[in-house]
Amino acid sequence: MSKENLILQSISKRFGAVHALDNFDLEVKVGELVALLGPSGCGKTTALRVVAGLERQDSGAVKLGGRDITNVPAHLRNMGMVFQAYSLFPNLSVEENVAFGLQMRKVNKRDRQKKAGELLELVGLNTQHKRFPHQLSGGQQQRVALARALAFEPEILLLDEPLSALDAQVRSNLREEIRRLQLSLGTTALFVTHDQEEAMAISDRVGVMSHGKLEQIASPDSLYNNPATEFVAGFVGVMNYIPGYQNGKSVSILGSDFKVKNSSGHQGATSALVRPESITVVAKENSSNAVVVTRSFLGASSRILCKTLDGTLIQALVPSEESSELIPGAKVQVKISANEVLVS
Amino acid sequence: MKLGKLNLPLIITLLLFGAFVVIPMGSAFEYSIRRGLEGGYGLQNYLWAVREEDFSYYLIRSTWLSAVTVLITLVILVPTLTWIHLSNSKLRELIDGLSLLPLVIPVVAFAVGAQISFPEFIQSSVMELPFLYFILALPYAYRALDIGLKAIPLKTLSEAARSAGASWLRAIVIVILPVIRSAVTATIALTFALSIGEFTMTVLLHWDTFPTWVTYVAQDNLLGAIAISMIALLVPFVLISLVALLTPEKEIKESN
Amino acid sequence: MEKRGVRKGASFPISPSSILPALPFLLIFGFFFLFPISRLIYVSFMSNENTFTLGNFQTAFEKPYNSGFVNSIKLGLLSAAITAIPGAVAAYFIETRGSSRLKRTISSMNGVLANTGGVPLAFMFTAALGIQGFLTQALKAVGIDLYANSFSLGTFTGLLIVYLYFQLPLMIIVFSPAISSLRREWVEAATNLGANNLQYWLRIGIPLLLPSFLASFLLLFASGFSAYATANALTVGNVPLTPLQIGGLLDGNVSAAQLNLGKALGVVMIVISACAVIPYLLIQRRVARWQTR
Repeated sequence: MSKENLILQSISKRFGAVHALDNFDLEVKVGELVALLGPSGCGKTTALRVVAGLERQDSGAVKLGGRDITNVPAHLRNMGMVFQAYSLFPNLSVEENVAFGLQMRKVNKRDRQKKAGELLELVGLNTQHKRFPHQLSGGQQQRVALARALAFEPEILLLDEPLSALDAQVRSNLREEIRRLQLSLGTTALFVTHDQEEAMAISDRVGVMSHGKLEQIASPDSLYNNPATEFVAGFVGVMNYIPGYQNGKSVSILGSDFKVKNSSGHQGATSALVRPESITVVAKENSSNAVVVTRSFLGASSRILCKTLDGTLIQALVPSEESSELIPGAKVQVKISANEVLVS
Repeated sequence: MKLGKLNLPLIITLLLFGAFVVIPMGSAFEYSIRRGLEGGYGLQNYLWAVREEDFSYYLIRSTWLSAVTVLITLVILVPTLTWIHLSNSKLRELIDGLSLLPLVIPVVAFAVGAQISFPEFIQSSVMELPFLYFILALPYAYRALDIGLKAIPLKTLSEAARSAGASWLRAIVIVILPVIRSAVTATIALTFALSIGEFTMTVLLHWDTFPTWVTYVAQDNLLGAIAISMIALLVPFVLISLVALLTPEKEIKESN
Repeated sequence: MEKRGVRKGASFPISPSSILPALPFLLIFGFFFLFPISRLIYVSFMSNENTFTLGNFQTAFEKPYNSGFVNSIKLGLLSAAITAIPGAVAAYFIETRGSSRLKRTISSMNGVLANTGGVPLAFMFTAALGIQGFLTQALKAVGIDLYANSFSLGTFTGLLIVYLYFQLPLMIIVFSPAISSLRREWVEAATNLGANNLQYWLRIGIPLLLPSFLASFLLLFASGFSAYATANALTVGNVPLTPLQIGGLLDGNVSAAQLNLGKALGVVMIVISACAVIPYLLIQRRVARWQTR
């Protein structure tokens, strides 16, 4: 395969007074699935549309390997895009939709149909090829859109929140399927979403964006365990903000001292960032430092919401078999089981 | 920005369409303010028209006939449509279809039918007009309300109102009407405009309203009739422009 | 389950299968619409002696009524044909490029022109295109002398000109929803899949708009075909048009031999109008599938 890395070089794009992209850099390697994650308005969709050529950046370059494609018009870029919803052509059948890209590339009818058939088989819709989009469910429509975007073997597969209009069940099935297809075809993919669970579940790397900039890009594991900034920590997974006192490289929270991971040498009041699974909760009548507010059973583990004596709410994730006594009102001892913590 | 370049086709469209609308209208207006023999311009035709006793008589008559039509439309359609949407009745298809039927029938043919069908006590009362106007406006009014009701969680709202103790009627008036107010406003505007300008049915059933009066005026005083016609066209135009200018852009988007 | 059923029942004063809540509507609609239309059809087959006859229809297709139909159909077709494409193009640019404020204003103004304008428009044109009218003089100045060939608004051509004035706004009103139902995603998806502008229009844009365009044309035809007010105000019986002929018969200028002729003319009008409006409604319904999803 002659596919090449996608490189975005210091892209800037403004809409009026809003910086949608602010000196944005990104590299997606061949065969990789990279997700851009961020709140709405962070510029992730703009980045995708710049790659597709549907939006023109004010400055910066889009490259495929060494080739600058900034000036290539959108219809010649060979990028396959899956839109949020309703992007199938309503006047064309499923098969004609999937074959559309090939038709535009002057592929003859027999080859088009064959290829469309293969793709529909891959997304499990080969029996539906004569149907029209309005006869399909939302999930089926997005499968067809996926097949359509892949049919002409694009350089990059671009996914613009393709699951956001679907029901939860369909959503998680389809996201696994996107990953499966992307891996088996070896397609390079850029996936835009505001749903962190979705991004973490299927990506090789996740780029967290805010205000037109990349805050951090890393594998889901390291993003979760070693968030580079407070924004990333707060956006990825659940995070407790526990008030404490920082003394240079250590911080004192809930009566114990911890090493500060992102040492700033700051002195004084601060908040420590602690994941729920790094907190232990033990029922203790006499030496308690908190009270259980609610207990939510989640299966193997339970989420315990406690209130410390000074009023801070802390969420903890506790194995369910150890949490049967942690009923609302129970006096408990809350401890932090990590060695190092982030402070804000 | 590219805005200027992008909007060139729009500007050309608006200029052409504007010319198409404004040139005849302006030309007619110019004609209507000419002073006959003395030359120059004056509002004498307009003054004549508004001072004419029949002007206000027929205007008021047309206005209340239209108001009654609006009332009939709302009283009949809102409960019927609410019920249709709530019950998912099989009658829905039928009533949807019926509501469109008046589009198929030319008003002239409808008027002939009306003249040969209604008993004397109905034909001798001007109150037959609002009911006939209701039928003429039905395809538009029905659709406007239907779209409004489709867009809201009607079932939840009415059940909430009912479980809070509201009677069936109160639920419609207090809860549902306010939620679909933009659809109701559209329905009122549509029905009122259609009724106040209705000519064919009215004249064929030998009733006199503001639009038919204009044609009688024309027989004696063409310039007066022209002035009245200009008022009939320009007043709504000015009102529409004012509303457009005074409504903030944001609100327009929301109600869309 | 049962509780829910009870509550649901409480929502309706009457069971959902009952037609009682729709009764006021059905009664009024039946009495004020279905009854007169059925009676019209029934009476159109009645002779003066109240026996069944096809004679009224026979007369309806003879002189001068046949030319009334021909003229009315021609007026409907021509006024629709002339305004359909300009109206569609105008609707396209207004819908795709205009601000929502502009769209709303134009659609309200079009509503005034298309729906309530009939009589006022006739007098407006009487002034604008009268011998002394500003527009007439302006046209004369650029070499178009309307009155060189004894022009009058009360002729077929005159009526056609005035009809254009409400048909164009009507076209914009009727066609705009089709334009706004074209999703931006479709252009973008087509571009992304490798289509240039022309290919998008040929494969996607035009096929999607064509049904609505035809439907709009049909509605315009029906509107021009059955219009009465403008023609009534401008002509003095010199242009044979079916609506005017029916109006004349209704006003009593009728010989005893043709007592129910007007009803037959009305029925034929309904049939012709239905041939346009019913396909219009069917197409609209079909196209709605594309517009909701």
